Amino acid sequence: MGLPEFISGRVWKLGDHVNTDVLHPSSYFSLDAGRVEEGIMEGMERMGADLKGKSLKDGLIIVAGENFGCGSSRETSVRGLRHFGVRGVVAASFARIFMRSLVNLGIPTLECKEIQSQVKDGQPIHLKLKDNLIELDGGKCISFSPLDIHVKKILEAGGLIPYLRREKDGI
Amino acid sequence: MSKGCTGRIIQKHADGRREGDYFSVHVDFVLLPDPTFALLLSELKELGGRIWDKEKVLVTVDHFAPPSTVERANIAKKVISYAADEKLPHCSVYQGICHQLLVEGPWLTPGMLVLGADSHTTTGGALGCLATGMGSTDILYTLMTGRTWLKPPEAVRIDLKGKLLPSIMGKDVILELLGRFGEGGFLYQALEFYDINEAIPMDDRFAICNMVVEGGAKNGLFHPDKITKKYLKERDGHSGHWKNFTEEEPDYAKQLEIDLSSLKPKVALPHSPARAVDVEEAKGEVMNQIFIGSCTGGRLRDLELTARILKKRKIAPGMRLLVTPASQKIYKEAIEKGYVKTIMEAGGVILNPSCGPCGGIDKGILGAEEKCLSTSNRNFQGRMGDHSSKVYLASPLTAAASALTGRITDPREVM
Repeated sequence: MGLPEFISGRVWKLGDHVNTDVLHPSSYFSLDAGRVEEGIMEGMERMGADLKGKSLKDGLIIVAGENFGCGSSRETSVRGLRHFGVRGVVAASFARIFMRSLVNLGIPTLECKEIQSQVKDGQPIHLKLKDNLIELDGGKCISFSPLDIHVKKILEAGGLIPYLRREKDGI
Repeated sequence: MSKGCTGRIIQKHADGRREGDYFSVHVDFVLLPDPTFALLLSELKELGGRIWDKEKVLVTVDHFAPPSTVERANIAKKVISYAADEKLPHCSVYQGICHQLLVEGPWLTPGMLVLGADSHTTTGGALGCLATGMGSTDILYTLMTGRTWLKPPEAVRIDLKGKLLPSIMGKDVILELLGRFGEGGFLYQALEFYDINEAIPMDDRFAICNMVVEGGAKNGLFHPDKITKKYLKERDGHSGHWKNFTEEEPDYAKQLEIDLSSLKPKVALPHSPARAVDVEEAKGEVMNQIFIGSCTGGRLRDLELTARILKKRKIAPGMRLLVTPASQKIYKEAIEKGYVKTIMEAGGVILNPSCGPCGGIDKGILGAEEKCLSTSNRNFQGRMGDHSSKVYLASPLTAAASALTGRITDPREVM
């Protein structure tokens, strides 16, 4: 698969300490992907995202504050985001289980403290993974902390299970 | 290095492979509660379906226990059938909350490296283990390989000095820490507790380690001492061969101190466990429901102190008091010691051991605008029911005192 050099999308902006119970209410825990996605939509609505506005519908890149994804380890929150089309997450800092789960499902997690004050909901942004840069509309670039080698390898494989398959094959 | 005992445990489990900041390590034990285990079952089967070592996993049906909807019944059924088909030796159905069962069973001893598919797996650290939670895909990787990848966290030494006052419990200690340092105050750190006066009973240590994750910590660990030894001896008939795992003084990035004798009962205000204040500041707030239970606050000492407060008294008119022992074993002991009778005579309702109201799963869900004081670990918005409901967190002592008056009450006033 390989890690894409460039990921584009529109910003869904969130604050500090967004927890997984709010992001994906536990009543939507399910093995059914459709139901899991409904949970994310419920969470988004609760956090004030305008789902009727097309701007947030495709190619989402979440830009969050500190301690993003704290709380429960239920991976349904991350699976819901993936079904919903979230391509990448930039946060000032991540809660550790949530960050691992995003990477394990192939979604890049970038740490950057400066970006939050500089973007708006719905604004197009581009993640330049090879250059450690986030490009805003208009060409302005902000750098993010380089990805760890291990994290990069998982993302390059497309997630932890494809990474495991590679490991087993001795590639 | 400043990685504490946690770093040493990681080092001892490392298999020599390293990528970036991450080390490949052997895992000693894995906890698999029903919903998050069910989430990885289809992929596990696809990958060949073999767990690396069946002796080293505990499967529990405790979240959907017993199931309250058809969908949940089918999830529980999947888990139970898999455990039966694979002849997993440790599968516990409806016997209690996974984090209590994990420490009640004969598996964990100091120095072990333990994972669980639930964030509150940190509870096991009270026994001197490195115990931490992960998502289902991480756990699937471990079930297939017996390994995981860990980044050694920076370790913080926390000295707990002085004695616990009769009105103070482990819950107050952890709320104090969360209040001081905030919801992400220990992000990615290991919290290592030294109970200098050996003042904190094991049940309270479980409550403390259970909630370190609310501060963002990777794990919490009590340095093993006489209390650990006594617990293991009562549990297993012997205290095991673990005493050498911290023979040299470990290094720490930071050192903190809490004077236990200066603590006041704490209450965490909605909607964050870190919004902890002294009970005086929350006093008088009218509650609709009190919940005493969960993997934080449903152990024997929690029920004992609840019963002590409620003895020969009645809860306030209109108050709903729900009490959930954390396991069948605790439930039985609480019956034998008379705690259950006392709680029931005061007007409390006993629920079967399971997660229940804590995660808004079943039994005791809150309606619109309702307020609940809970001994559980999280009071995030909507966690226990309607999005407009409000949850306050406190110790079982404060919860029981508040059940008597119908308002948040300082337990010192009724003790």
